[in-house]
Amino acid sequence: MVKVRRERGYTLIEVIFSLAIFGFFLFTLTALMTEMRLLERHYPIDYMRHPQVIALMSRMRKDVVDAFGSSPYPAVFVERTMTPDGPVVTEHRQSSKTLIITSVQTTGFTQTIVWDFSTPGEARRKAFSVGSLVSNWVARGLPAEFTINTFEIEDRPYSVRLIAKDRRGRLAIDQIFQPRSHE
Amino acid sequence: MRSQRGFSLIELLFALLILTLVILTTLAMFAERNRRLQQASELILAYQALANESEVVRRVGYGQLELIDDDFSTDTTILRPLAPFATAVDVTVVRPGVKSVTLSIKWRADKEAKLSLFRVDTGGTNLW
Repeated sequence: MVKVRRERGYTLIEVIFSLAIFGFFLFTLTALMTEMRLLERHYPIDYMRHPQVIALMSRMRKDVVDAFGSSPYPAVFVERTMTPDGPVVTEHRQSSKTLIITSVQTTGFTQTIVWDFSTPGEARRKAFSVGSLVSNWVARGLPAEFTINTFEIEDRPYSVRLIAKDRRGRLAIDQIFQPRSHE
Repeated sequence: MRSQRGFSLIELLFALLILTLVILTTLAMFAERNRRLQQASELILAYQALANESEVVRRVGYGQLELIDDDFSTDTTILRPLAPFATAVDVTVVRPGVKSVTLSIKWRADKEAKLSLFRVDTGGTNLW
């Protein structure tokens, strides 16, 4: 007597049905991933959610809002630092990568603030009181390209416009700061 | 005869139901995450443009507020990813000596960001 062993497996319908479900799942996942990639391409990087950028913007806004005097943006500032090898003189000039502001402090005295964006991805804020360095703050992980411009508002010719572009050259930050009224 | 036990149909369906729920929830969360990221990106761009325009508007003399354009006067290049978009400036007198300036940006039919400023006639110039 021949004993026929039954070999069970999946039917074609079962296999196709399982593959269809799996395919649908994969398709949905791929569609969502593609949508995410498209969003990343379409919008500039949200630098404004970056803690270092937020800190930078807040500090600069405060410095500009508190800009003081009839000429709050000196063209040149000479920094003198004492080192063991003697004094080192660095000259800062107002440019698209450097912003020099005379800003009033809560003490009532003024400070000269030098914002330096010359190093890509980095911003340095140096504060000088009567020529002496009193604060040196650095922010890192910033947009590669920061530019400082002036923005002219009638009767207010000294507003500052800060522009930053991301790695793909898309405008990510565009903010106008202006000194508060002192009249 | 050797008993070959397996899962019953009810067990199998129940397991599939749980698996489906998990997968659908994950996908829904993923889709929601994308939607919120897009919303956040758009709002961040819109509020930068609103803040810039408000810097200009708050320097316009109280008496000249009605004369300003209905459109934004500042550069709106930052809003390019929201295109097509429309900007508007609306000035209304709230009560004598107080005006409300509402800046708004509309994009993609149903999206809108607004910023309102209240201007008070102080008699001075270029004040807040």
